Amino acid sequence: MRRVRVAFAAGVAALALALGLTLSGSPASVARTTEPRGVEEEPIASTEQGQTYCQGHEVLPAGVTAIRVWLFAAAGPALRLTVSAGGRLLASGRLGSHWLGGSATIPVKPLSRAVSGATLCVSFRLADETVIVQGSPAPAALAAYGGGIRLHGRMWVEDLRPGHSSWASLIPAVVCAMGLGRAQPGAWVALLVLALMASVAALAALAVLRGLR
Amino acid sequence: MNVLDRAPASSGTRPKRRLLATAPASVRRVRVPRLAAICALVATLNAVCWSLITPAFQVPDEPDHFAYVKQLAETGRLPTSDATQLSQEENITLNALHQSIVRLRPQRHAIASRSEQRALEHTLAATPHESGSPSAGLAASQPPLYYALEAIPYSIGSAGNVLDRLQLMRLFSALFAGLTALFAFLFVREALPRAPWAWTVGGLSVALAPLLGFMSGAVNPDALMFAVSAAAFYCLARAFRRGLDAHTALAIGAVAALGLASKLNFIGLLPGILAGLAILSVRAARRRGRAAAWRMFALGLAVAISPGVAYAAHNVLAGQALLGNTAAHGAAQVSGSLLAELNYIWQLYLPLLPGMTDDFPGLFPLRQIWFDGYVGLYGWLDTPMPAWLDTLALVPAAALALLCGRSLYTARAAVRARALELATYALMALGLLALIGVASFHAFPAEDAEFGQVRYLLPLLALLGAVLALAARGAGRRWGPAVGALIIVLFLAHDVFSQLQEIARYYG
Repeated sequence: MRRVRVAFAAGVAALALALGLTLSGSPASVARTTEPRGVEEEPIASTEQGQTYCQGHEVLPAGVTAIRVWLFAAAGPALRLTVSAGGRLLASGRLGSHWLGGSATIPVKPLSRAVSGATLCVSFRLADETVIVQGSPAPAALAAYGGGIRLHGRMWVEDLRPGHSSWASLIPAVVCAMGLGRAQPGAWVALLVLALMASVAALAALAVLRGLR
Repeated sequence: MNVLDRAPASSGTRPKRRLLATAPASVRRVRVPRLAAICALVATLNAVCWSLITPAFQVPDEPDHFAYVKQLAETGRLPTSDATQLSQEENITLNALHQSIVRLRPQRHAIASRSEQRALEHTLAATPHESGSPSAGLAASQPPLYYALEAIPYSIGSAGNVLDRLQLMRLFSALFAGLTALFAFLFVREALPRAPWAWTVGGLSVALAPLLGFMSGAVNPDALMFAVSAAAFYCLARAFRRGLDAHTALAIGAVAALGLASKLNFIGLLPGILAGLAILSVRAARRRGRAAAWRMFALGLAVAISPGVAYAAHNVLAGQALLGNTAAHGAAQVSGSLLAELNYIWQLYLPLLPGMTDDFPGLFPLRQIWFDGYVGLYGWLDTPMPAWLDTLALVPAAALALLCGRSLYTARAAVRARALELATYALMALGLLALIGVASFHAFPAEDAEFGQVRYLLPLLALLGAVLALAARGAGRRWGPAVGALIIVLFLAHDVFSQLQEIARYYG
């Protein structure tokens, strides 16, 4: 029984430590986006074959740890992203296949200073599936291109870097947001979630101490 | 004696005088152990928690399932169309919630300002209420049991708005998570009768499985199917341990009937259940005679298939196609030969073999679809856990697999002795895997694995409970309980961080 208590206590302590580390970390924030305000995204290209889509006039802020490209796929292919300027590769990243939904976030090595006038390219290989490039209309000079064709718009790209606020400092805002979008809004939602999870943990502890003898 | 060895049905906490009872084992009162009740409570509370965390209609197909219940509760009739045009009342609510903008776009958060909340409240108050929803999208082809049950909380909340009704329905659905954990505990108890401490490991781990909480904390017939499937495993394990009698045969048939009436996917488990019933009947024939055994088998079979027969009869009498809406569900064009289909199904779960056409170039489905999907993929499959966590999770998964393997190796004599029982469970699992594979192949190659979603495997949660109990047992009697405690903490941590990921995605 003593071993069970020690193992359980050690496990819970490790969980508490992991929670503390997570809350002290910062969520990613959008350092820059090509998304115009108040505009809905629209498909600017669709392909069922491997392709490389690029667009120029990109700015890559310093400290960016991931770049989110607005591609849509039911089960996305592996992606390779490059950012280059003056023929020099500045940053690159890869994302494994089977990402889902309307965007893909590709981790990159952060730069120490911002770069402008860069060209961003995203490449993938496809077998029968469909990938849709999402963005908004733009003049030909600014539009993205791929497969030798100039697209009718610019692909939406978001540069992400760690925010300045920790998750812990954002708790009041998260508690407030959790209370919205409901018939009876309020902080009670987050508080009830907390109480329920505390009950779950307490009951689990009770079951472990009673059952694992 | 090892953990898999057959123990007398009376082992454990049953008082001795019950051994002397004259009633057959199956009709004696099935006492729910206190620990099983705690597991059920944990699973229910966890699902309630998920129901509060997940924004309205941000669970796969929840708008369609809501529409089905609305139609059934308000008109008493089934949906007649699988069109995606839902009722005006529901559509207005979805728009007010920005549901289609948030869905599949992890960069978009749920309603995040008080002005949006005021607009939502204004919309909800002004939305006209119309009766029913003849279209129920993807849900239209599903059998009605879950929706009929959900009509109860829906009707209770009928004075409120769509969000009031949805939350009541989610809370009701959370009860099925409790039943799933309860039956998983009872299954492990029957399957591993010699290791009472390991029952808690299996039952509690299932109760804390985040995907169970996520799905059961939403309006989705999967929740009922998980519970009924766990009950099917329990009934079979009980019959294998104690022998088949008329009551057990009836229970197995009834559970199969409930499963068929809850979700079409249950068809995948049916061959295994019927095979188990046949094996049990053959065994019973040695003790009770062929005629009695045949009657028990026929009873179980008749009850099991009764929903299908009743549904077909209803359709014929109503002048509709024999299989009604479900015919459309299964009539998708098959895009290749049988060999191509087998090739695809193999690769959906197992590594590519030499000579096979690669249907998943650049993808290892076992890892990326199934394992990473289990580690975490929430919302409309648009909220994954961080990639590094998927990789890290391989370490405990490998350790659990090794411990489970050790346990099975140690108990190999008992495994051989119980080969037919284990084959029954394996056939149930294979049937489900094959069903998912066939359904996904229908959408291939336009989509690589349309039904490659771990939630479709959760009807096998009872088996996961047994595997985890075996893993704990694999550490030996001295260290097993301590390892069991660590497994439970691991599942608790998985649950907590999955919830945090969901919170970060929608509210962060």
